[in-house]
Amino acid sequence: MYKQVTKREWRLKALAIALAAIGSGAAHADNLPALGDGDDPWRVDVIYENGTHYRGKDKTGHEVGLSKFRNTIQVELDKKLANDWGFHGVLRGTFDGVYRLNDDEFGKKAGSKSGADLQFQNTISKSGGMVTTVPWGGGLGANGGPWNQATAAFGYPGGNDLLNAIYAGNVIAGSPLPLPLPGAANTGFVNGNTYSAESGVGLRMLGDRWHGPDGGIQMAVPVRPCDTDRRGCRDFGGYGDKNLSELEAPEFNDRLDFIREAYVKKTFNLTDETNLFLKLGKQQVVWGRTDLFRVLDVINPVDYSRNNIYDELQDIRIPMWIAQTEFRFGSSELMQDRNLSIVWNFDKFRANNLGQCGTPNVMLDAGCFFRGMANLWDNGGTVANFAHLSDGAASLAELGMGIPNGSLPRDMWLATNFGPGQIGIRKVHLPEWSLANSQLGVKFEGVTQGGLNFSLNALTYRSQLPSLHAFNNAQNPFVASQTGGSSHLIAFDMYFPRVNLIGGSMDFQSETLGAAFRLEGALTKGEEFVNTARPKLYSSNKVWRSVIGVDRPTFIPFISESRTTLISAQLFYQHIFDHEEYRGPLGKYGMPDWQDNFIGTLLIKAFLMNDRVSPQLVTAYDFKAHAWVASPQVEWSLSDSLKLTFGANVKGKRDDAEDRWAFNDCRDCNPYAPYTQYDGQTGAGPLGLSGLEPLGRFRAGPIGSAWKENEIYFYLRYKF
Amino acid sequence: MKLKCIALAVSLLAAGASFAATDADVDNSFQPYKKGFPTVAGLSAGTTINKSNVEQFKDAFDPGLYEMVKDGWVDINVAASTDFPQPKAYIEATRKNLGKVKLGANNGDLEGYAAGRPFPEEPDLKDPRAGEKLAWNFKYGANYGDSGAIYPFYWRYRNAATGQIERTIKFEFHFLNLMHRVEQAPIPEITPNPSKIYRGTYAKVYEPAELKNTQLLIQRFDDDQKLDDAYLYLGFQRRVRRLATGQTTDAFLGSDMMIEDFEGYNGRVSDMKWAYKGVKNILVPFFNHNEQMHLTDEYKESDGYKFVDFHGRGNCMPNVTYQLRKAYVLEATPVNPNHPMSKKVMYLDSQTMYPGRVVIYDRKGALWKNFTIGKSHPDHHLPGNKGSNVSLDDSFSQVDMQAMHCTTGQFKTHIDAKLNPPGLFQVQNMRGGD
Repeated sequence: MYKQVTKREWRLKALAIALAAIGSGAAHADNLPALGDGDDPWRVDVIYENGTHYRGKDKTGHEVGLSKFRNTIQVELDKKLANDWGFHGVLRGTFDGVYRLNDDEFGKKAGSKSGADLQFQNTISKSGGMVTTVPWGGGLGANGGPWNQATAAFGYPGGNDLLNAIYAGNVIAGSPLPLPLPGAANTGFVNGNTYSAESGVGLRMLGDRWHGPDGGIQMAVPVRPCDTDRRGCRDFGGYGDKNLSELEAPEFNDRLDFIREAYVKKTFNLTDETNLFLKLGKQQVVWGRTDLFRVLDVINPVDYSRNNIYDELQDIRIPMWIAQTEFRFGSSELMQDRNLSIVWNFDKFRANNLGQCGTPNVMLDAGCFFRGMANLWDNGGTVANFAHLSDGAASLAELGMGIPNGSLPRDMWLATNFGPGQIGIRKVHLPEWSLANSQLGVKFEGVTQGGLNFSLNALTYRSQLPSLHAFNNAQNPFVASQTGGSSHLIAFDMYFPRVNLIGGSMDFQSETLGAAFRLEGALTKGEEFVNTARPKLYSSNKVWRSVIGVDRPTFIPFISESRTTLISAQLFYQHIFDHEEYRGPLGKYGMPDWQDNFIGTLLIKAFLMNDRVSPQLVTAYDFKAHAWVASPQVEWSLSDSLKLTFGANVKGKRDDAEDRWAFNDCRDCNPYAPYTQYDGQTGAGPLGLSGLEPLGRFRAGPIGSAWKENEIYFYLRYKF
Repeated sequence: MKLKCIALAVSLLAAGASFAATDADVDNSFQPYKKGFPTVAGLSAGTTINKSNVEQFKDAFDPGLYEMVKDGWVDINVAASTDFPQPKAYIEATRKNLGKVKLGANNGDLEGYAAGRPFPEEPDLKDPRAGEKLAWNFKYGANYGDSGAIYPFYWRYRNAATGQIERTIKFEFHFLNLMHRVEQAPIPEITPNPSKIYRGTYAKVYEPAELKNTQLLIQRFDDDQKLDDAYLYLGFQRRVRRLATGQTTDAFLGSDMMIEDFEGYNGRVSDMKWAYKGVKNILVPFFNHNEQMHLTDEYKESDGYKFVDFHGRGNCMPNVTYQLRKAYVLEATPVNPNHPMSKKVMYLDSQTMYPGRVVIYDRKGALWKNFTIGKSHPDHHLPGNKGSNVSLDDSFSQVDMQAMHCTTGQFKTHIDAKLNPPGLFQVQNMRGGD
């Protein structure tokens, strides 16, 4: 009889295995029994680390407080096996106490205490500066109550009355005419008025950590762990549906992530000159020569939920089950070294972990966008500044309400209640675990006679970042009986497209400059980007990425006369081919990602007291986003076993940054004419109406979208 | 102009003098003690020299070690001088290529070299390029033979004032001559070798955890004018980084050693101006490892091997016996004015052509570092090294006299070609690791 293994049992089993391994490592580190016929004992290192981060005020003005209290045990295992095979393993288990110690912010108590905590903006008149807010559930479509009085404060009819007047023909008493707009059988958006009182609990406004309301759209997103609040929880490719315990101890899951690495390796002598190196198992495969940026280093997905983009890639690459073979041909008459490497990633697909909404590190705030959108699809919700009164609709409303023509502003966008199945993210299509979905890479790495190191790389893989494809068969919110037939609808399925990459890298040194140079570039085909100019709101574009880096160890006498200070600078460049950006009557629309962008990084790292104390400063500047980060840090090795690290991560932006980040949000995409039609609009497609949400995050980038996540941190690392 | 012509003529004459080297020069070079070992009045095996009697034996010291003994850093225990024969094939290669080698027009140019000791003749103070010749003898010396390995190799960073051990690094080091090979097949060169790499040095860190799996590869070219290629694999980055030139004169991993200090001098001939300063009989730590009285079993080895222990102030100096040996005083002045030192004086052992002692001066000319390399006779070391005739590196000490800090090294050296396959010295080997 088969027993159904539940997720929880899996986790417990994984935890037990990990603890057993950790325990045995600690007890027998010097003399573990030999595996196989190898004579060498196990080499075992056991390391404990505590990482504590404290975050200052976010954009709401609220002091975030503790943002990490992560405790890690890592066991590193090495063993020479029989017949010259070798084994290397890394086990890692972490427990982050932040979810309990700061549960108001990141745990079971996070988010709103009631719907009234969430205020959704109505722009009554953009030109007149008239703005009101309504609480959660109080947008157009709400039934009665105090929720729908968005316009009343300015002497206009209340929100629901307005809606009814425009769409339902439900004119106020004394009005001479019913409204002629067809189809709307109900008084509001379909099912948009059914939120329960409890539904306003445990939510935050999307993006409120890094920007305020800006007249653009806003929506609420659930932020509590998924065992407390399932709303919007989806498996976005390894994250997004995690319970509290899974967030606290993320390695203990059904993918056995506590096994960070476990592989065997061996070198076979094929001929006198040629060796075949084989490495098989769960591993990280590192391509390229660049720090921080992932141009060629894209074989393993990355877990940004640990510390956004600020951890060493070694610690955040998600190891995959990979077979790596490397033909080492050695020298030839023309080249000093020649190697051909074939990498086959046969593991089940994993996406980059962008961080689940409600956790401390949500890169680009994307996890919140995804969860918020998934929740909108599942449950509906209020969206700020959404429904627009076109000139025609306003005239009709004025007529219906018996008020003079021109009484209502024409630049009005009102908070709107959506029902389930109308907008949002419907489904996540994760690539199946199949041969066709496996990932294959080939690399030739060589050294020329003159000492130029280079590689030529090719890889076919699944994008580790999601792509949202709009579909056209969602529920028309204006007409209960109508589905389909739309385009440019902000209702999506999530996909991970196949990407093909070719690229290369090289390094060389300059004696004159006393510096080493690194170059890396890659051209990809198949990546998909948001594109509001396209009916499905995405396009597939070729992308060129490259980095030039220079490392210069420099004697800076006032720091040290015997030890150089490393100065390392990099310039990252990205170009999107066939980039689309158009100027509509209301602003730019098309692709929010910059056609050309540069990001510069500078590392200054000094070594003092025989390298036991190492201060460093890392800075980065996103030239298009106008956003920067500076991260001063000091490492202090008290002994071979104990190291302390103190640091800060401070970010900022230029004053004009938010204007640059705002981008067309497709409120104006007119998927359901005539209800969603703007003046002069013919058919579906955007006019360029912009806001920071939801696409500003792609222009702000990982630095700009986290500019209010300033932290100080402390690490203690101890090797047993 | 006239002076320049004279200098050039003298220079050419000196270079040409190498053609005059004879079999007798070879014999003298490799058997300098045929007629007996040097002596200093009052100095004999069993003598202990300390600050109370160092003045008596001042002539038996280089200035750096003299200062240390005088200041009470260390006591020197003297043993009998012994012969350190060099590999027979290396001597034969020297003989075979006798008179075929000459200096080129520029410092760093060498013509006609095939194998063995390039300039076996006794250096001449009148020869303005005698220093260069000694530098070439050092570069093409038989240290580690055609290949050798050190594992384990413990480095310790010590506070000389307090004796505190600040860091212990466990290394593995490998050396391989790809060219001018005399003993281990293939001879004379591992081919193909299109870049004409003369020597590879590969190192890997096992401990501490912070530096674990850090690897270093240095490729030195036969063309001395060509800059070394150096690569560093950082375990925490899992990426090979090309090292810029400046990093060879950097404190390696925070130690008191620069990469350039490895083996006494680990750079190009052309990076220094060389000056021969004469012969001096000095005390150097050459000994028979297995006969040392103060070996430590602090690091457990399954074969029972014990490492050289350290003593003296801060436990900075090897606790071994010293013997009186003939040394050539070779002064190296950096060509690069930004080099962190003003000069180093190497006391090249006349028989092995390796320095038992190196004294390094800072930019202002003040004594900066005292470098001591302990050498063991291979027949009194690991059984596998017996008969190799390779004088084995067995300990080192680099004392920063100004910072009161030192780095010590404890070796377990293996002369075994199987441990040093050419693939180990390719960059790809580091990339394919853990």
